[in-house]
Amino acid sequence: MKKILIIPVLILFSILAAAQVSRVVTGKVYANENGSLQPLPGVNIIWENTRQGTTTDSDGAFSISQKNNQHMLKFSFIGYEPQTVHIDGEAPLEIVLKPNLEIEEITVVQKDRGTYLSTISPIQTERIGGAELHKAACCNLAESFETNPSVDVSYSDAVSGAKQIRLLGLDGIYSQLQTENIANFRGLATNFGLTFIPGPWMESILVSKGASSVLNGYESIAGQINVEFKKPDSQEKLHLNAFASADGKTEFNANSNIRLHKDMLTTGVFFHAENLSNRIDHNHDMFLDHPLTTQVHFYNMWKYNNYKGLMLHGGLRFLNDERQGGQVDFRKDMPRNSSSPYGIGIDNRLVEAVFKAGYVFPSQNSAIALLTNAVQQSMDSFYGLHDYEGDETRFYANLIWTQDLDKNGFHTLNSGASFFLNSFDEILNQRLMDRKESVPGIFTEYTLKPSDKLTLMAGIRADFHNMFGTMVTPRMHFRYQPDPRWTFRLSAGKGYRTANVLAENSFLLSNFRELVFEETIQEEAWNYGVNFIQKYNVADRDLTISAEFYRTDFQKQLIVDRETSAQQLIIAPLDGKSYANSWQVDVRYPVVKNLDLLVAWRQNDVKQTISGELVEKPLTSRYKGLVTMNYTTNLKRWMFDYTVQFNGGGRLPLLPDASLNLAGMNEEFPSYTVMNAQVTRYFRYWSIYAGAENLTDYIQHHAVIGHESPFNQGFDATRIWGPVSGRRIYMGLRFTLNYN
Amino acid sequence: MKNLVIILAGCLAMLTAMPSFAQKSGDKVVCFKSNMHCQDCANTLFEQLRFEKGVKDLKIDHVSNTVKVVYTDKKTDDGKLQKAVEKKGYKAEKISEADYAAILKGTGEKPASNQGGNGHH
Repeated sequence: MKKILIIPVLILFSILAAAQVSRVVTGKVYANENGSLQPLPGVNIIWENTRQGTTTDSDGAFSISQKNNQHMLKFSFIGYEPQTVHIDGEAPLEIVLKPNLEIEEITVVQKDRGTYLSTISPIQTERIGGAELHKAACCNLAESFETNPSVDVSYSDAVSGAKQIRLLGLDGIYSQLQTENIANFRGLATNFGLTFIPGPWMESILVSKGASSVLNGYESIAGQINVEFKKPDSQEKLHLNAFASADGKTEFNANSNIRLHKDMLTTGVFFHAENLSNRIDHNHDMFLDHPLTTQVHFYNMWKYNNYKGLMLHGGLRFLNDERQGGQVDFRKDMPRNSSSPYGIGIDNRLVEAVFKAGYVFPSQNSAIALLTNAVQQSMDSFYGLHDYEGDETRFYANLIWTQDLDKNGFHTLNSGASFFLNSFDEILNQRLMDRKESVPGIFTEYTLKPSDKLTLMAGIRADFHNMFGTMVTPRMHFRYQPDPRWTFRLSAGKGYRTANVLAENSFLLSNFRELVFEETIQEEAWNYGVNFIQKYNVADRDLTISAEFYRTDFQKQLIVDRETSAQQLIIAPLDGKSYANSWQVDVRYPVVKNLDLLVAWRQNDVKQTISGELVEKPLTSRYKGLVTMNYTTNLKRWMFDYTVQFNGGGRLPLLPDASLNLAGMNEEFPSYTVMNAQVTRYFRYWSIYAGAENLTDYIQHHAVIGHESPFNQGFDATRIWGPVSGRRIYMGLRFTLNYN
Repeated sequence: MKNLVIILAGCLAMLTAMPSFAQKSGDKVVCFKSNMHCQDCANTLFEQLRFEKGVKDLKIDHVSNTVKVVYTDKKTDDGKLQKAVEKKGYKAEKISEADYAAILKGTGEKPASNQGGNGHH
């Protein structure tokens, strides 16, 4: 666990963990037999959490090479108390093992827990690992949160297929979405970014709540979601995945890792294609339940590691996504006027280049990392009679310097500079909008970790925005673990973001009302959080209880006002208060052997000032309950998953003039339940899975209001609070071939 | 709510209908002394052995360096399982169940963190 002492922050970890410098640790191991020391041969010695180990020779002596991220050396021998030692000096070691008199049950390879709640990181983090990603069809990132209590995923509207996440009750735009520690799928990609990350490419997802580290920029407000892709130097040689659903959606994924020069120079090739061309209208409103989609996505990643401290990482991505929705009879070649059926079309093309470099100095107490990416995206879309096009070119660079201030790594300083450049052009009908952002920034973050029990992290950054001036972002984290069973965390921090007024609200165009908005603003908020994790051993199994409270207070925000005018949807800066409170409790426990149960409850209190009045944010559930069950057989040959989500009701936006509200329009939407289930069968190289999303076929009725006459007053496909598509039965195959 | 009941019932049925992995008559047990030393090696071995024909239950421990396999003797035998362990480059020295129990008795290691694949960051 202490292997990351030198680099206590995850952002650096991913870059530098593999950049390794070797030196040799030597020593001798003795047994304490009733007071006299005897050399102990055959002792197992291993770097904690690695497979690099050795044993002592007949004189009890050993030597083992140490890489920069290896600090904890573990000694174990049958009949003796194991010992883990922090290696921080050059002198030969003398280890004395004491006989162990306790008799305990043998450890066996257990089931992979899937989601792992970190108690080590000072920032509250949930790691969604490979096992969890297998629990759902997991076509893309949007679908990977079905079994997660913290992240809600919902449809933005009833026609575009766009999905948004909510963290702490706040819209996804307030969580920073990252791929391998670089903010990504933002700007023009905001609405569809989640569907642009294929499930089978992901190694893990890290969800951190509340203020993040200042190293990652000023943007995250509610939290951060970081996706790690599979690594080119990982064990996986070839992975194939095919997926088909009963309603005609098909997907194919292939990725391969090639070792060009041992495990020093490696490359990974990733391919994804998906298609849905069935026109489905289960609720007979003449509107497609899902838009027709075609996506092709290619990613090539290169990694170089000389195992002497240097690591380089480069990648190239191409993405093409086309979707078409609206009325069943609409065809792309039809004239775009109100005598044709209503249609929408959204085409996205994206190219990205990534380059990262990390170097650990031979002294091993400092390291440097550079993270850069450049993205070009063009988007071409129409919603009924509205035309919306956009072009975005951006560049990001972040240089981080990590320095241990003392020999033991108790004090660490991470400092650096970043640069963000963005050129954004949009055209909505005849209205032209463009902006150029250029934001150099500097930051520093101090980490105090005097022991495993305590971490204090305080960071500050200053960014110099060409449009909005200087932004100062202070953030603070504190973690206290008085006992391995209890972890307390506190966090507080500020965040800013440039609102992409149209790009992130473009789904509002599938509405009869006119979209009224002004120039962009810089949103600004404070976030405070407390979190308490308890771990107990009950009946020889781990019981984990996590409780948390987060509050976000907005100073500046863009508010979508659907209630002031019958003719307009107004997006305007906040005038008054806006805040979100989120309370959450999770309990995780394997109720019987191999059956993991998660029960979670979250209460959201999200309020905004809309036309002078502090009201509940419309279309937001007041609570969410989640029960997930996973049963994995002894030998992990079968896996059964079952998830129930209880979504609370909430407020619906009504028009100011009661006579304009259609008959049957309520002030409230009801609570509803959604269930998913899946069965997976593993073979040595293959696995096959089948399941159903939204088992009970719950859908929001009248999702498209005024569907009879979509070009007339009253048409609105954006008043969405629940599922807009029904039960989906699916099946898939995975094939995996590993090195080794 | 009716749906909920149906689904829950379905789930229960699924769970109870699952093949039982308890040791039955006709099952045999073989134990090996090995040289894994680390959790990742134990995971590798687990991955190798869990899909061997006839294997019904497995206990692999890197602290005591032991492997215990429960299997159906119609489908495999001690020799095949031994080869399967050796195929991954680890020793497989056959030991008696009594020796196995004795080694375990001697190992006082607290259960190591064993959540394969879950890195502790």
